[in-house]
Amino acid sequence: MAYSAELAQEKRRGLLDPRTKLALVLLLAVFVLGGLGGEQVKPIKTVLSALPFLLLLAERQWRRFGRGVLLLIVGYGLLWIMPRLPSALGFLALLCGGILTRFVVTVVMGEYLIATTSVSEFISAMERLHMPQAITIPMSVMFRLFPTIGAEWRSIRRAMRMRGIHLGGTKAGQVLEYQLVPMMTSTVRIGEELSASALTRGLGAPIKRTNICRIGFRVQDYVLLTGCLFTIFVWIMELCGVKLW
Amino acid sequence: MNNENKLKGRDLINIGIYGAIYFVILFAVAMLGMIPIFLPLLSVLVPILGGIPFMLFLTKVKKPGMIFIFAMIMGILMLLTGMGPWPLLTCAIAGILAELCFKSGEYKSAKKAVLSYGLFSMWIFGNYLPLFTDYEGYFAQRADYGQAYIDAVQKLMPLWMAPVLLVACFVCGLLGGLLGRALLKKHFVKAGLA
Repeated sequence: MAYSAELAQEKRRGLLDPRTKLALVLLLAVFVLGGLGGEQVKPIKTVLSALPFLLLLAERQWRRFGRGVLLLIVGYGLLWIMPRLPSALGFLALLCGGILTRFVVTVVMGEYLIATTSVSEFISAMERLHMPQAITIPMSVMFRLFPTIGAEWRSIRRAMRMRGIHLGGTKAGQVLEYQLVPMMTSTVRIGEELSASALTRGLGAPIKRTNICRIGFRVQDYVLLTGCLFTIFVWIMELCGVKLW
Repeated sequence: MNNENKLKGRDLINIGIYGAIYFVILFAVAMLGMIPIFLPLLSVLVPILGGIPFMLFLTKVKKPGMIFIFAMIMGILMLLTGMGPWPLLTCAIAGILAELCFKSGEYKSAKKAVLSYGLFSMWIFGNYLPLFTDYEGYFAQRADYGQAYIDAVQKLMPLWMAPVLLVACFVCGLLGGLLGRALLKKHFVKAGLA
């Protein structure tokens, strides 16, 4: 028997299983951002770097895709213009360009993970991985809170700016106390409400929770996971000194 | 007794809330580390600013294990943000030390809380470790930042900086703890949060 809520869930189901997304984030963080691996892994890194953008397109996240591409273009633009600038400016351009081209890919992948995974999906994926609750509950609370903290901080900064409390303002010395403290106070308040609501719905209860989310590996997951394993395989081969190409 | 000491949903959610605040502050400050001169200074800035949420967190810690889980989650997040596996190790060690220290004060001693944050802050050293364990390799990976960047960092980070940074993390952790306590008394108690 299929309930309408289950059907709705099926329709909303993302392209990938949360576990695949997590594996990809980890792989990108270690290889592309962390810079692991040498010459042999390089061609694979190029493919890996394109992956988050393709995924965003496939999930029709146009705005995130546009922003990511824009940042990447700015980064490469800075690297391209660098030799034509005076040395001090050139150094700055090189630094910003280097940071942008290095970080954007992994940031976009992380954004993709957060934007396309609901907290329930994340928790049920973690349960299938047999992660202890002591890790999954704090992690899911954190992922839920990051955007909230950002929004709160922006509003508080705007309010304090009116009173001249901002970097470069007349009362710059008070930035720490009058921006951080309200930000923390309101985040803790929001967090407490969140915690009350989660506890009412049985999070952290001694029995096993059920979940309406459909997760599970499909063809696309298997393809990408094989890709992940292949990357690690190439890297290990390189460590052993075997030339593949 | 055993049941009382078990971590419940609310404790875990608290770890998440304060962990999120701590991580946002850490991340905002760490972005400065892209500028070479700020790279060693991170071991000063992060412990001091992070002291505010951490001290607030400690007022919620009443059971064993919470500080350790907090530390491990920081380690996992560092892995996800591309700092490599080293922070996981330092987080585990610093987490256990901080846990034991705060436990010896029966989870309420204010002095032990400050000391515990000092010990906890030493995990930040894990982010520097790849630089010191593999000096050549670290700079080879960052070749695309440009020679000027590498020269600047190498000048700032000779090998003997390693113990200095570790001590700096600890001392600034103590300072951050004191700052956190002062703000706690001034604002958070009044607001009914601590």
